[in-house]
Amino acid sequence: MILTWLGRFALDAAFLACVIGVVAQVRTLRGRPSRALLWGVGALVAMAAAVGVMQFALITHSFSLAYVAENNATFTPLIYSITGMWSALEGSLLLWALILSALTVAVIHHYRADNTDPVVVWATLVLFVVGGFFILLMVGPADPFLPNPAHVLQGAGPNALLQDNPLVAVHPPLLYAGFVGFAVPFAFAIAMLVTGRVHDRWPLEQRRWTVLAWGSLSVGIVLGAWWSYQVLGWGGFWGWDPVENAALLPWLTATAYIHSVIVQDRRGLFRIWNLSLAVATFAFTVLGTFFTRSGVLQSVHAFSSSTLGPALIGFFALTVGAGIALIAWRGDELRSPVGVDHPASREGLFVANNILFVGFAFVVLLGTVYPLLYEAVNGTQVTVGTPYFATVAAPVSIALLLLMALAPVVSWRTVNAKVLWTRVRASAWVALGAVVALVVAGVHHGAVLGAVFLSVGAAGAAVRTLAGVFTSARRRGDWWSAWRAPSTGGMVVHLGVVVLAVGIVVSTSYTTRSEVTLATHQRTVIDGQLVGFDGLANVKNSLDSQTQLLVSVNGRPLRPAITTFNGRGAQPVGTPAIDSNLLRDVYVTFDAIGGNGAASGAQVATNVPAGSVVLGVTVEPLLSWLWIGGLMVGVGSALSFGRRRHRDEVPA
Amino acid sequence: MRRRLVLSVSLVVLAIVVALSVLLVTRQPVNATSVPSPLVGQMAPDFRGTDFHGARVHLAALRGKIVVVNFFASWCGPCQVEEPNLITFAWQERLHGVVVLGVVFNDTLAAARAFDAHYGTLYPAMADPNGTIAFHYGVTSPPSTFVIDPRGRVVAELLGPVSTAQLTNVVGRVSA
Amino acid sequence: MTRSTFLGSFRVWLVAVVAVGVWAIVVNPPASTSAQRIAHLENLVKCPSCQDLSVAQSTASSSLAVRHEIATLVHQGRSDTQILTAIEAAYGPTILLSPSTGGVGVLLWALPTGVVVALVVTAVVLRRRR
Repeated sequence: MILTWLGRFALDAAFLACVIGVVAQVRTLRGRPSRALLWGVGALVAMAAAVGVMQFALITHSFSLAYVAENNATFTPLIYSITGMWSALEGSLLLWALILSALTVAVIHHYRADNTDPVVVWATLVLFVVGGFFILLMVGPADPFLPNPAHVLQGAGPNALLQDNPLVAVHPPLLYAGFVGFAVPFAFAIAMLVTGRVHDRWPLEQRRWTVLAWGSLSVGIVLGAWWSYQVLGWGGFWGWDPVENAALLPWLTATAYIHSVIVQDRRGLFRIWNLSLAVATFAFTVLGTFFTRSGVLQSVHAFSSSTLGPALIGFFALTVGAGIALIAWRGDELRSPVGVDHPASREGLFVANNILFVGFAFVVLLGTVYPLLYEAVNGTQVTVGTPYFATVAAPVSIALLLLMALAPVVSWRTVNAKVLWTRVRASAWVALGAVVALVVAGVHHGAVLGAVFLSVGAAGAAVRTLAGVFTSARRRGDWWSAWRAPSTGGMVVHLGVVVLAVGIVVSTSYTTRSEVTLATHQRTVIDGQLVGFDGLANVKNSLDSQTQLLVSVNGRPLRPAITTFNGRGAQPVGTPAIDSNLLRDVYVTFDAIGGNGAASGAQVATNVPAGSVVLGVTVEPLLSWLWIGGLMVGVGSALSFGRRRHRDEVPA
Repeated sequence: MRRRLVLSVSLVVLAIVVALSVLLVTRQPVNATSVPSPLVGQMAPDFRGTDFHGARVHLAALRGKIVVVNFFASWCGPCQVEEPNLITFAWQERLHGVVVLGVVFNDTLAAARAFDAHYGTLYPAMADPNGTIAFHYGVTSPPSTFVIDPRGRVVAELLGPVSTAQLTNVVGRVSA
Repeated sequence: MTRSTFLGSFRVWLVAVVAVGVWAIVVNPPASTSAQRIAHLENLVKCPSCQDLSVAQSTASSSLAVRHEIATLVHQGRSDTQILTAIEAAYGPTILLSPSTGGVGVLLWALPTGVVVALVVTAVVLRRRR
C-alpha cells in the first residue's frame, strides 16, 4: 500500500508543479521574473521520485502493485526488471513523462539568459502544458500504481518477447527521447506564432533540438528493426505494422523540416511551411501514442487496449487546431520577400525533397487508418500490408536517392548545367562502372541496379562535399573544425542512408528462404551455405528452459532454440540464431521436430522421422549493412548537433 | 491572395483532422468474439480423420445432428478456460442430438493429448495434419468454435472462450 | 576528341547509361515461371495466425497450409484472381495484404496522387506569383 501511496503522491506533485509552472509563466509574461527553472526542476524531481518508486517495486518484486504483478516475477533478472517499467502501458507513460520533464529543464536551463524573452516564456509554457497532460493521464485513467487486491506470491513475468534480448533496454528510451524531443520545436513554433517573432534566430535554433530528437528517433527505429530481426523469427526487420508506421510518420515530417529550415535560414523562404512541419511532427507523435495505446488497430507492438483513446485523440486535435489557428492568424506576416528562382536550384531540390517526404507521410497515414475507415463505411474488415506500402516506397526512395546525388553539388538560386556536370562527372562514371560490374556478376534485378546506380551517385556527392570541407580546413591548419562544419554531419548521415538503402534493396531482392530436414550428424548445402545438425540440448536456468539445436553453418556453431520462459501461461517462443558477416546473414530457426514431438514445444512434422529436425534457413545478403548504416546516421546526427552559424551573425 | 491561400489550406487541413479524429475516437478496441465468418450460411467443409482413441471421424456422416467443432491448442489460455465449459456442454447435450468435436490447431500431438487428459475431455478430438481443416474453415487463431446445423450448414463462428450458456443459446437457435 | 573531353562529355555518359540499361534488360531471364507466380501470390496473402506477416515469410502451420493450397491451385492452372478469390472465400477479406481497388479502395491510390499533385501545383503556383 505504501508504494501505491508514495507513487501517486509523486505523480500528483509532478502534475501540480506543471500547473504552477504554467501559471508562473503567465505571470512572467506580465513582467514578473521567471520561475520556470524552479517549477521545472520540481516537476522533474517529482517524476524521478515516481520512477524511483516503480523501479524499487520492480527490482524488489513487490507484487502489492498490480503493474509489478503483471510484468515481473521473482526470478526476473535485474535488467528485465528495470526494463519492465516500459513493457506495458502505464509504466511506459512514466518513462515518457520522465524524459519530457528532463528535457523541459534542459530547455529552461539552455535559455536561462533569455528567460524573460516572450518566445522562451511561451515555449516553456507549452512544454509545461504537454508535460502536465501526460502526467494527468497517469493521475487519471492509466494509473501505474494501482494496488493489487490479491495477495500473490508470484508474478506473471514480462512478455516472453520482452525478456529475450537486451535491446529492450535501449530501443524504447531512444524512441521516446525522439518523440518527446519533438515537443521542443513544437513549443517554440507555437511561441513564435503567438509572439509574431518568426524572422530571427529562432527557426535555425530549433533545428538543433530537432536534429537531436531526429537522431534519437532514427537510431531508435533502426534498433527496433534490429531487435525484431533478432527475435521474431521470420528474418525480416520491418512489417509496416501500425505501430511501426506511427513511429515513421513524425520521422518523415521531421526529416523534411531539417532540410527546409536550412533554406529558411539561407534565404528566408518557407516560413509558414516550416512552422506547419514543426506542428505536424509533434501532432504525429501524439497520434502515434494513440495508435500504440488505444487498441484500435491490431499490432504485435501495441499495448493492451485502454480508455486512453479519447484523451489522446482530444489532445491530438487540440494540438493541430491550435497550430492551424495560429498559422491562419499570422499567415500574412509570414510571407517571404523572395522566391525560388529555379526548380533545379538547391532550393528547388529541397522543395522536391519536402514534397516527397510529406507525400509519403500522407500515404503511410492513409494506409494505416484505411482499415478503420473501410470498416466504418462498409462494416467489414480489410488489411493494408506490405505490398501497398512497398509499392509506394520504391519510387519515393529512388527519387530521394536522385535528390541526394544532386542537391549537395547544385548551387543556390541558379543552375549552370556545365558546372553541375563537372561536379557530378566522376560519381556518374563510377556509378555506371558499379552497375556494369554488377551486371557482369549476374545481378539483373532492375530495382537493385537502379538503387546502386543512384546510391553511388549520392555517396559521391557526399564524399565530394566532405572532401571540400576537410581540405579547406587543413589549408587553414584547423583540421578539427571540419568535424564541426555545418554540412559534415549531414553528409555523414547521407552516407549512412546510402548504406542503409543498398542494404535494404539487396537484402529484400535476394533473400532466399528454405526449409531443410536434417537427421543427426547430417550435412547439406543450402544456397551456398554448408549447414549441419548435431543433436539437441535441453538447457534450463532460472529464467527459462530451452530446447536448443546444435547447428553448424560453414563450420561455425549456432544454436537456434525454442524457449519457454518460466511464469504462468508462458508460451514457447522461437529463438533464432544468426551467423552474420559483411556479405550476408544466415538466419536459422528451429521450425519443427520429427516423430511425436517430445516435450520441446516445437511444432511437429509427422512426415519427418524421430530424431530429425526441420530447420528454416534464410540467407540474406548485405543485411548487416542496415545496422552499419544506422550507426553512421547516429554519428552524423551527433556531429550535426553543433551550432550552425545563423546567416546574420558576423564571424568573429 | 497569399492570406486567402493560407486560410483555405488551413481550413481544409482542419477539416481533415477533425474527420480523422472523429473516425478514430468512435472506433472500438478489437473485440474477441464478434468477427463475422464468410462461412456462415455456407455448407461446412467436410473432413475426415482419426480421433485420439483411434475411432474414425467423418463430418458428413454426422448429418442429422448438430455438430460443434472446436479448434483448440494446449498453449492457448482461453482454450484452457473454455475446456471445462465444453465438456459440461457436451455431456449435457449428448442425448439431444448434439455432437462436440475438437480439432488440434498449430500444436504438437503429444501436447494436445496431454491437454485432453488433464481436463478429462468427454468428446472426441482429432489431429489436423498440415492444417488443411483449419485452412478450409479459415481459422486464424484458437479457440474458434463452429456450430453446424443438421443439414451441414455453418450457422455461427465463435471466437474466444465459450461459456456453456453461450453454446446452449446458439444451439437453441438452430432450427431442426 | 581528346580522351579527357571524351569522358568529360555528358552525351557520351548518357549514351553509355542507355547502353548498359538495354544490356541489363536483354540479359534478364524471361518472365513468369510457376515458381515466380507462387512466390508473388505468397507475398499477397497474410499468414492467418500472425499480425502482419505474409505466408511467404511465416513458418506457422496455418501459413504452410495456405502455401500448399496456392501451389496446388497454380498447378491446376487457375489464374491469380481466381486463387486470391478462393483464399478470400475461406478466410474473409482481411486475409489479403493489399485490399481490392474497387469501390472505397480506389481512395488508397487516388488520395495520395491527389495530395502530391496538390503539393506540386501549389509549389508551382507560388513560384509564379513572384
